[in-house]
Amino acid sequence: MNTRLIFLEELNRLRHDILAMAARVEEDLGKALSALRANDTELAKEVCADDAMVNAMQLKIEDETAKVIATQQPVARDLREMVTIFKLTSNLERVGDHAVHLAKTVIKLSGEPPFRSLEHLERMAETGCQMIRACVNAYLNQDAEAARQAAALDDVIDAGHRSLTEEVLNLMREHPQLIKKAVRLLAVSGNLERLGDHITNICEGIIYMCEGKHEELNE
Amino acid sequence: MNQDNIAARIMGGGKPAEHTSQPDIRGGKPDAHTSQPEVYTSSGKPAGHASPPDTRGGKADAHASKLDVRGLDLYYGDFLALKNIDFSLAPHEVIALIGPSGCGKSTFIRVLNRMNDLIPSCRISGTVMLDGEDIYGSMDVTQLRSRVGMVFQKPNPFAMSVFDNVAYGKRMQGLRDKRRLAELVESSLIKAALWDEVKDRLKKSALSLSGGQQQRLCIARSIAMEPEIILMDEPTSALDPIATGRIEELIGELKKDYSIVIVTHAMHQASRVSGRTAFFLLGELIEFGDTREVFTDPADKRTEDYISGRFG
Repeated sequence: MNTRLIFLEELNRLRHDILAMAARVEEDLGKALSALRANDTELAKEVCADDAMVNAMQLKIEDETAKVIATQQPVARDLREMVTIFKLTSNLERVGDHAVHLAKTVIKLSGEPPFRSLEHLERMAETGCQMIRACVNAYLNQDAEAARQAAALDDVIDAGHRSLTEEVLNLMREHPQLIKKAVRLLAVSGNLERLGDHITNICEGIIYMCEGKHEELNE
Repeated sequence: MNQDNIAARIMGGGKPAEHTSQPDIRGGKPDAHTSQPEVYTSSGKPAGHASPPDTRGGKADAHASKLDVRGLDLYYGDFLALKNIDFSLAPHEVIALIGPSGCGKSTFIRVLNRMNDLIPSCRISGTVMLDGEDIYGSMDVTQLRSRVGMVFQKPNPFAMSVFDNVAYGKRMQGLRDKRRLAELVESSLIKAALWDEVKDRLKKSALSLSGGQQQRLCIARSIAMEPEIILMDEPTSALDPIATGRIEELIGELKKDYSIVIVTHAMHQASRVSGRTAFFLLGELIEFGDTREVFTDPADKRTEDYISGRFG
C-alpha cells in the first residue's frame, strides 16, 4: 500500500512554490540587468521593491517545509530533499539580494557616462540568470549531473569578475577622480561573484539530495 | 523440573519448556551437538566468511561480537521463514529490527533465546554464537534465557506484588536471603527507571500499575536475572507517547550495562534508540548498517521504499 499520497501532494506544492520563487529571483536579476543596459532607474527601483516579496516567499516555503517534516516525518531521500529545500531557499534569497545590489548600483551610477567594464557586469548577470534556471531545473528533475553542469557556469562569472577587477584597477590608476565610481563597480562585481557561489551551494544541495553525499563543487 | 528451569521459562515468556528434553531443532546437521562453529556454505557463500554484512557501521566486528549469527536458515515445516541471515551484536549496542509484518523479524529475535524451540515444525540451520558458544549446541537453554532476557509487546506482569514480580526469577533460582533479594529488587527497579514511582507500594499488586509502569516492571524483572542481552519485541506498541518516551530513554540507559535488540514497527523509534538497524523483508536481511545511514541514505532501494512508506 502506498501511504505517501499526502506527502507527495505537499511535496508537489513545495516544489511549485520553489519554482515560483526561483522565477521571481531570475526575473529580478534580469530586470536589474536590463536596467543596467538601459540605465533605467525606474526598472531598478522595481527590483528593489520586489525584495520584500522574495523574502516572504522564502519564509513561506520554509514554514511549509517545517510542517511537512513535523507531520510526515520524511526519511532517507525525502528527508534529504527537505534539507536541500532549506539550503535552496536561503541561498536563492541571497541571490535575490545580489540582484537588488546590482539594481541599486544602476540607480547610483545614473547620469554617469557608461563604463566599458559594464559589459563584464552584463555577462556576469546573464550567466547568473542561466545558472538560476539550470539549477532549479536540476532540482525539479532531481538530476545531480545537471546540477554539476549548472555549477560549472560559475567559472564564467568568476572570469568576468577577474577581468572587471583588472580593468577597474587600471582605470583607478589612470583616472583617480573616478575612484568612487570604480569602487561601486568593484563592489557590485563582487556581489555577482558571490551570486555564483550561492547557486553553486544550491547545486551541492541537489547532489546531496540525489546521491546522499556531500560534494564540493568549484573548489 | 528444577527451579532454574521454571525461572528461565518465566523470564522467557511463561510458556512451558521441557528443558531436560529440549528438542534440537537444528535439523539435518550431523555435528549439531559439537561446539565447533559451522560454516554455512549452501547458499554459495565462500566458506570461512568471517565478517558480517555490515560494512557501514563497522561497530561490531566478528571478534568483539557478543552475539554472532552466521548463515541462519529457519523453516516452519517446508516454509523457509529466514534465509541465510548473518548478524552480529556488540557489547553495549542497541540494534533495531525493522520490516513489514511477516518479514521474519519477530521470528529472528526468538531465535536468539531459543523461543522457537517450542514450535514443533520449526527447525534451523546455521550458527548462533553467544560469546563464542553455540546456543544451539550444548548450552543449557535455561542458562541461555537467563543470559538473554526478553520483554514482550504487551506488558505481562504476574498477578502478585511489585516486589514479588521482580524477585520471582532469583527466588526460583533458590535465592532466599531477604536482604539480597531486597537489594536486587531495588537495583533492578532503579535501572528500569521505576523505583521512584513504586518504592512506596512494593507490596501492591503489579496489576495496579499503569501500562507504561507495567512494561518497565517487566524490564526490571528481566534485569533482575542479570542478563547480558535484552530482547524487546515491540515493547512500546501498547503504550502512549509519554510511556513510550520513558522506555526509549530507558533503553539509552540500559545499553550502558546490556546489549539490546529491539523489534519495532515505529521507524522513528528505530532511528531514535538504535546504533544499527537491520531491515528484514520476506525472510531476508536486506540491509544491516549504521542507523543514521539507514535513515538518511539507505544502501538498498527496498529499504528506502519501506522506510519512506512506499510499501508495508
